Amino acid sequence: MAASVCRVGSTVGRALAKSRSVISYAQSLLGAPETQLTALDNGLRVASEDTGHATCTVGLWIGAGSRYENERNNGTGFFLEHMAFKGTKKHTQTALEQQVESMGAHLSAYTSREHTAYYMKTLAKDLPKAVELLSEVVQSCSLNEAEIEQQRGVVLRELEEVESNLQEVCLDLLHATAYQGTPLGQSVMGPSSTASVIKSGLNLTRQDLVEYINIHYKAPRMVLAAAGGVNHEELVGLAKSHMSGVSFEYEGDVVPVLSPCRFTGSDIRMRDDALPLAHVAIAVEGASASSPDIVPLMVANAVIGSYDLTYGGGKHLSSRLARIAVEDKLCHSFQAFSSSYSDTGLLGIYFVSDKHHIDDMMHWSQNAWMNLCTTVTESDVARGRNALKASLVGQLNGTTPICDEIGRHVLNYGRRVPLAEWNARIDAVTPSVLRDVCSKYIYDKCPAVVGVGPIEQLTDYNRIRSAMYWLRF
Amino acid sequence: MNIRVSFWLKTNRMATHMSKCRTWNRVHRFGIAAYRKYSSSGSGYPNISLSTPLPGIPKPVFASVDGQEKYETKITTLENGLKIASQNKFGQFCTVGILINSGSRHEAKYPSGIAQFLEKLAFSSTAQYGSKDEILLTLEKHGGICDCQTSRDTTMYAVSAEVKGLDTVVSLLSDAVLQPRLLDEEIEMTKMAVRFELEDLNMRPDPEPLLTEMIHAAAYRGNTVGLPRFCPADNVDKLDKTVLHSYLRNYYRPERMVLAGVGIEHEQLVDSARKYLLDAKPVWGTSPAANVDLSVAQYTGGIVKMEKDMSDVSLGPTPIPELTHIMIGLESCSFLEDDFIPFAVLNMMMGGGGSFSAGGPGKGMFTRLYLNVLNRHHWMYNATSYHHSYEDSGLLCIHASADPRQVREMVEIITREFIQMGGSAGEMELERAKTQLKSMLMMNLESRPVIFEDVGRQVLSTGKRKLPHELCHLISSVTASDIKKVTTKMLRSKPAVAALGDLTELPSYEHIQAALSSKDGRLPRIYRLFR
Repeated sequence: MAASVCRVGSTVGRALAKSRSVISYAQSLLGAPETQLTALDNGLRVASEDTGHATCTVGLWIGAGSRYENERNNGTGFFLEHMAFKGTKKHTQTALEQQVESMGAHLSAYTSREHTAYYMKTLAKDLPKAVELLSEVVQSCSLNEAEIEQQRGVVLRELEEVESNLQEVCLDLLHATAYQGTPLGQSVMGPSSTASVIKSGLNLTRQDLVEYINIHYKAPRMVLAAAGGVNHEELVGLAKSHMSGVSFEYEGDVVPVLSPCRFTGSDIRMRDDALPLAHVAIAVEGASASSPDIVPLMVANAVIGSYDLTYGGGKHLSSRLARIAVEDKLCHSFQAFSSSYSDTGLLGIYFVSDKHHIDDMMHWSQNAWMNLCTTVTESDVARGRNALKASLVGQLNGTTPICDEIGRHVLNYGRRVPLAEWNARIDAVTPSVLRDVCSKYIYDKCPAVVGVGPIEQLTDYNRIRSAMYWLRF
Repeated sequence: MNIRVSFWLKTNRMATHMSKCRTWNRVHRFGIAAYRKYSSSGSGYPNISLSTPLPGIPKPVFASVDGQEKYETKITTLENGLKIASQNKFGQFCTVGILINSGSRHEAKYPSGIAQFLEKLAFSSTAQYGSKDEILLTLEKHGGICDCQTSRDTTMYAVSAEVKGLDTVVSLLSDAVLQPRLLDEEIEMTKMAVRFELEDLNMRPDPEPLLTEMIHAAAYRGNTVGLPRFCPADNVDKLDKTVLHSYLRNYYRPERMVLAGVGIEHEQLVDSARKYLLDAKPVWGTSPAANVDLSVAQYTGGIVKMEKDMSDVSLGPTPIPELTHIMIGLESCSFLEDDFIPFAVLNMMMGGGGSFSAGGPGKGMFTRLYLNVLNRHHWMYNATSYHHSYEDSGLLCIHASADPRQVREMVEIITREFIQMGGSAGEMELERAKTQLKSMLMMNLESRPVIFEDVGRQVLSTGKRKLPHELCHLISSVTASDIKKVTTKMLRSKPAVAALGDLTELPSYEHIQAALSSKDGRLPRIYRLFR
C-alpha cells in the first residue's frame, strides 16, 4: 500500500479526539466545512461546500414549479424536465448523452410544486464540463417539435405508471383537496385522467414551453449549488463565464407573484374494493418553510414516528402509535409527514391498512395528535428531539444530499442553515412549547382527508372533525 | 420518477421577493402569512424565522479539508484472532460494526434459513439489554441506529452513532453478537416475519430476488452458494434455539470476525475491543470448532425452471403485461483473483436495464444491452447484466424478460450477446465502461456506511484493504485483450439457466448449451412437421 498517512492536526475532528479543551462541543458540531455563498451581478447565487471527496454533485436549483402554472398549462414544468436532456443548441441529443456517459457522470432532474432542479453527479475533476453542460441545458434547450411529440407519449406512460403507485396518488389527492381551487392543488405532472378530462401534455405546445422558460427561469430565482471536491472560487469563475447571460428582467415588467393558497378542510374518497389495501392520509394546515414553528412541528412528527410491518421491533417500538398499531395489528405501515411551501404547509399522518382496521387506525392517529396537543411528556419529547437531530445529520450522507440541501435552503431561506443552529432550535423545544405549537395547528382545526382503496370503513368526515378536539372540562 | 413527495423533513419554499431579488442580504422577511403570529405567552421559544440566523450560537469553527482520501486503513489483530480495521473520516458520526464470515453458504449441515432468522433476530434482547426497545433507547441517546444484514457469505451487524458514544456502541455490538437471549417469543415473532417476507417475495411483480435464488441454485447445484438464501417455507418451523446455538457455536468465532469502524480513531476502537470483545464468553459456550464447513464452491451449471402464472401480478389498478423471465449465467471468477477487475469492466460494458427508460443520461444508455438489444427489439421489456462474486467463484449473468410467445427469440438474442462478448471491444466503449466503473465506485464511497462495508469485507476476506485510488488505477489499466481473455475462459464453462413464468416456448437446456458453444450464438434450428 503506497498511501501515506496524512496526520495534519488542524481539522476539528482530530482536535476533538485529542483534547476537548481546545474546541467546545458546540463549536465542533460544525465538523463539516463551511458553505460559501456568493451572488453574481445578475442575481444568480452560487453556493458550495468543499468536502474533499473525489466526486462532486453540482446543479441548478430554480424557484419554479407547478404552483406557478395555471389550469391551462399545468404540467409544463414536468414536460420541460423531460425535454431538457433531449438536445441543446450546441449539442444534439446523442452528443449530449455520449458526453455525459463518457464522463461517467449521472445527469438527473426533478420538479416539485415550488422547485425545479437539474443536477449532475460526476468526478470532481470534471466540474468545468459539468457546469458548462448544465448551463446549456437550462439556457439553450433546443425543444424541437419531433421530440416534443415523442415525449408526449412518454409523459402519458409515466402518468399511467404513477397511477399504480397508490402512495403518490393518495398524497397528490391530498394536495388537490386541501388546496382546491388554488395552484397548489395542481399535480406536478399535470392533470391525470382521474382528475380531469384533459390529459396532461396533450395540448401543450412548444410555445407554452418557451413562455414558461422566459417567465420563470430568471437569475435571481436560480442557485448554482455544489458539494464534494469543489473549490468555491473555481465554481464562481465557471458560473460567471457560463451563466452571466441569464436574464434578470421580466418582459413588460410583469412579475409573477404568488397568490396565497387557501387551505380547505375537505375530503376525497376513491373507493375501489378490488384493491387489497387502503391508503389513507389526513392532514391539517401546517407551517410555512421559514416559519419558526416548523421546528416544533418536525419534533412532533418525530414523536409520532413511523412504522412498517417489516420492522422487526415488535411491540417494543418507541412511538406510542406504533406500539398500538403492532399490538392490535392495525396497519401495514404509517408515517407522520410534513410538507412546507413558502406561505403554507401540510402536517399529517399517512397510513396503509387492510379494510377492517381503517376506523381504528384513524381513531388512534387522531388520538396521537390530541396527545401531542395536551399530554405529551418530557421523555417523549426528548426522544423526538434526539431522533430528529440524528436524522438531520444522518441524511447528509454523500455529496448529492448535501448539494440538494444547499440548493433548497438557499432558495427557501437565502442561506444554508448550519447544523449548530438546527440543534439549538431543536433543543429549545420543550413539552410546553410543543403543546402550544401543536394546539395552534392541530386542535379543533378542519382536516383534509383522502382515502384510496377499499375504504368503506373510513370514518365519516364529521366524526373525524369532531375527534380533532377533546371535551376536557 | 422525479416527483418529490414531502415527508417530515422536506421544506419547499420559494422566496417571496421575486421582484426585488437582486441582492441576497438577509433582511427580516415576514412572508405573506404574517397574520399567523405566534402568540403564546413567554415560553422562551425563539420566534425568529429560519431566514435569519439565530443569535447566541457559538461562532463556528469550520474544518479544513486536506486529502482525507489518502488516509490509510489501519488493521490490528487481537490475540484471539479478531481483526480490527478502521478508516478515519471527519464528522460527528461514525459507523462501527462486526462482520462475520458466515452466511447461507455455510448451512450445508443445517436446515436452510438460519441466515434469514439471524437477520431478523438481530439486536433483540441480550444479556445486558432486556429488549429491543432498551437497545433502541440507548442508541437514541447517541443519535444512533442499528441494522443487521446477512448474505450468502457474510453477516454484518452495524451501528451508526455519534463518535462520543463509541464505547457504548462496541459494548452493545459485543452483547448483540455474542450474548443474544433468543427468547421463545422472539423466535415466534421471527417466524411470522419470515413467513410474511416469503409471501411478499412471491407476490411482488418484480421477480429479481426469486431469479437470483434460482440462478445460484442452478449454477452451484446443492453446494455452498447454491444453497437457498431465504428460508424454504417448510423449514420455518424446524428452526429453534438449539439449532441456532449449534450453528453459532461453529461459526461465530473470533477468528472469523472483523470489527470495522469508519470515522473513529484506531486506538480508541482497539481499546474498546480489548475491553468488550477479547475475553467475552458467548452465550452458547466455547468449545473447539467441530463442524465448520470449509467447502469450496463447486460451479456445476444446470437449469432451474419454475412454471408460474404471471398474468396478473400487478398490485395496483394498472395491469402489468404477462412476462416470462429468464436468466442465463456463466462462471466468472472470485473477487480475489486478478481477473475480477476485467469482469467488472465487462459487466459495466454490458449494462442494460428496463426498456422504458434508462433513467437519464449517465445510467448506461450506451451500454451494449441497450444499443444491441433493447433499442433494436422493442418487444423486450428488460435486459440487464449482473455480476456476483464470492471468495472462490463468481457468476456473470444476464436477466431478460419478454412476452411468453417470444421466449425463443429472446434466448437466442442473449446467447448471441454472450458470444459477441468474446469479440474485440471497441476502444470508446471500453474507455466509457472504465470511466463509468471508476465514477460509480467513487460515488458509492462517498457515503459512510458504504465505506464501512468496503473496509469490513475486504479485511474479512483478504486481511488488507485496497484503497479507492488503487482500485481506480487497476481499472484504468484494463485492456481489450484482458476482456477477451476473461471472456474466452468464461465461455468454456457450462451455462446456468433460470426460467420463471410461462415456459412453453423455452428452448431445452442442451440447445442453449449448444448455442453458447457455437461460433455465432444461434440456437440449433428445429424442424417442425406441423406448423
